[in-house]
Amino acid sequence: MHFAYPPRKSSNPPPFRPRTSALPTIRGKRLKTIVLTGLAFLTLLWLFQRGGRSRHAPPAYHKPSGNPPVVIVTVFNEGKYGKGYLDMVKENRLKYAEKHGYGTFFVKSSDYDLRGAPVSWATLPAVRHAMTKFPDASYIWYLDQNAFIMNPLLKIEEHVMKPSRLEELMIKDHPVVPPDSIIKTFSHLKGHDVDFVLTQDKDGLSSSSFVVKNGEWAKFFLETWFDPIYRTYNFQKAEQHALEHIVQWHPTILAKLALVPQRILNSYSKEKGGQEYKEGDLAVRLYACGEAGEDTCETESQRFAQWKAAYQDS
Amino acid sequence: MSLSRSPSPVPGGGWASPGLTNNLSPSGRSSPTKAYAGSNGTPVMWERQKNMGGAAYQSFSTQNQGFFSRHMRRISSSLPRFKADNTHGAEREKIGQGRWNMPRLGRIRGITGRMSRRTKMLLAFGLLFLLGYIIFYSTPLVYYYRRTSWLGGGQKFVIILAANVGGGVMEWKGAREWAIERDSIRNKKKYVAKWGYDLEIVDMSTKKRYAHEWRESWEKVDFIRSTLRKYPKAEWVWWLDLNTFIMEPSKSLQDHIFDHIEDVTYRDINEYNPLNISHPPADPYLDELSKSPIGDGNPDSIHLMLSQDCSGFNLGSFFMRRGTWTDHLLDVWWDPVAYEQKHMEWEHKEQDALEQLYTAQPWIRKSTAFLPQRMINSFPTGACSEKGTDPRIHYDQKDRDFLVNMAGCEWGRDCWGEMYNFRELSYHLNRSLWERFKEDLLCWIWFKLTGKKVKF
Repeated sequence: MHFAYPPRKSSNPPPFRPRTSALPTIRGKRLKTIVLTGLAFLTLLWLFQRGGRSRHAPPAYHKPSGNPPVVIVTVFNEGKYGKGYLDMVKENRLKYAEKHGYGTFFVKSSDYDLRGAPVSWATLPAVRHAMTKFPDASYIWYLDQNAFIMNPLLKIEEHVMKPSRLEELMIKDHPVVPPDSIIKTFSHLKGHDVDFVLTQDKDGLSSSSFVVKNGEWAKFFLETWFDPIYRTYNFQKAEQHALEHIVQWHPTILAKLALVPQRILNSYSKEKGGQEYKEGDLAVRLYACGEAGEDTCETESQRFAQWKAAYQDS
Repeated sequence: MSLSRSPSPVPGGGWASPGLTNNLSPSGRSSPTKAYAGSNGTPVMWERQKNMGGAAYQSFSTQNQGFFSRHMRRISSSLPRFKADNTHGAEREKIGQGRWNMPRLGRIRGITGRMSRRTKMLLAFGLLFLLGYIIFYSTPLVYYYRRTSWLGGGQKFVIILAANVGGGVMEWKGAREWAIERDSIRNKKKYVAKWGYDLEIVDMSTKKRYAHEWRESWEKVDFIRSTLRKYPKAEWVWWLDLNTFIMEPSKSLQDHIFDHIEDVTYRDINEYNPLNISHPPADPYLDELSKSPIGDGNPDSIHLMLSQDCSGFNLGSFFMRRGTWTDHLLDVWWDPVAYEQKHMEWEHKEQDALEQLYTAQPWIRKSTAFLPQRMINSFPTGACSEKGTDPRIHYDQKDRDFLVNMAGCEWGRDCWGEMYNFRELSYHLNRSLWERFKEDLLCWIWFKLTGKKVKF
């Protein structure tokens, strides 16, 4: 509709003057948007503040850097053997370690308080001690006192511990305690998951030569093995039988264990106890030397004196 | 309607709407009624009486007796109409149709009609806020909402409740035992529903495989292992014995412990050492970390949190975290050689085994932390009471301790009585505002007035 005249002004003027302030005012839609965004932001802040406190993964413990790559541990039973013999054993280790840049760790079995248990238990605190002394070592190789390293050309980290080598060497699905233990070694163990390598002889597990990978698992394993409760049980063969026991009863230990053929680490001097030493094996152990009816260890060691010759040319 | 003015009152009362005549009613009511005919066609008895004349009784209307006769118009007008109607509100009101015609709603409509836009928005906002509060704080939906990892992380916690202890095999499980179990389970269920945790109720009945001759294992270990498998998202597991009661369900575990683990736990057992374990381990062949009294001091390496009572470790209420360390502990916790030598001495089974492990093996100390006993494991005054009420051990109402563990109540104390009392105490301490108003004000006023105690 069109009006002829413009609409009439009312007779009463408006009571207020029109607004002339210079202040910009936020009106209507913009105010609403701002308020709503502000509220949404505050809500989000509050929500995330309540929940965001997640715990991170447990801290990684110190990873050994590999210096020295291997530490050779030997425990000397000074009461039983002559000094000349023990010095020869020490020299055997030192020469080998010097050749490959390894560390050595020599202790006496009397250094540790075994609470009256057989002296062979001293192996465990010795290896644990080596881990403390050499926190950056990758592997710890324990070798019995009555054993000699015969072939200095072989390096532990390649000959034994390299993951691909372990996967070749590992004896899979084999009873851990011969002849008929129902607990068998794992078949699908990866080389880098192995933390403990040892061998079997004819009677059972042989704790005269084994390698552990330095780390938290090894500490747990050694401290469990060294629990006084196993010593008070008076196993017939001390720590060896204790080892057989814990390996069968505790799968977290079995899960990191690999058995390798005996001659890789632990050839015996006699056929009687296990696989016999052949030329080129890494180490030989004088099996049952000095025991009733056998030759003393000193005389037995003469049979294997050729290890000295291996260092002549270098 | 073609009248220009309303008709004047007619003697006999009533509004005689000229358009709607009613020949049946002697008292002049003009609302349309039907004469209810009897089954044989004659008018029903009261109609007949009316037709006979009003001299026999008072003249009150007998017409609008039935429900439908009184409410027909209102009902029929509020029924849905299916004809497409283009009339707007005002016209509808004039016609007398539409639901807004009811008196109450009309008032609300009037009020909202008079409100400015701003007031309407504020009111809408307020209602929305109230709705949000209700949905997010007081309905069962809080369970789902508090489970998510970005809104509370409730799914990281699982409570394992050891129920059916004994299972009635060695001892009779009577009404009291059932009642204790019911109360304990109900308490944990409510707590879990409030904070979004998981609850796993495990059956601790006497099983053959845990009997002496079988030497299989300790039950707690097996249950913790299977729970960690069952709840893959769970990070922490809280083991609770049956005779426990959560006294302060308004405290979540995150607020109480987990958001500030490093402040509430202590790793050096020398702070409170009822077993006199020599700590730190002093063997010379150990490394620095094992010899340190507080481990690495990092709360992320804690995998076991427990408390000690007056006689040693107490595993009635403890926490375990998922991890490699826990796998190792759960594996070596039970050993047949250890069992064979020690089971006669170890009355508390896995508790004593853990004490022995802690003493002998340093790797365990690295990830174990202790909580002050009254934080998760207060005792009632009957337990551990050789020295009277010990502020370190016994439940204190003033401090509003979190959980009460009625340990050892089977020997010489009244389990049911204790459970009942703690339950009632918990309800009393955690009354809502309304209940407080009723009990503290109204009942008090009533008592002052009448001298009688009453409960609303």
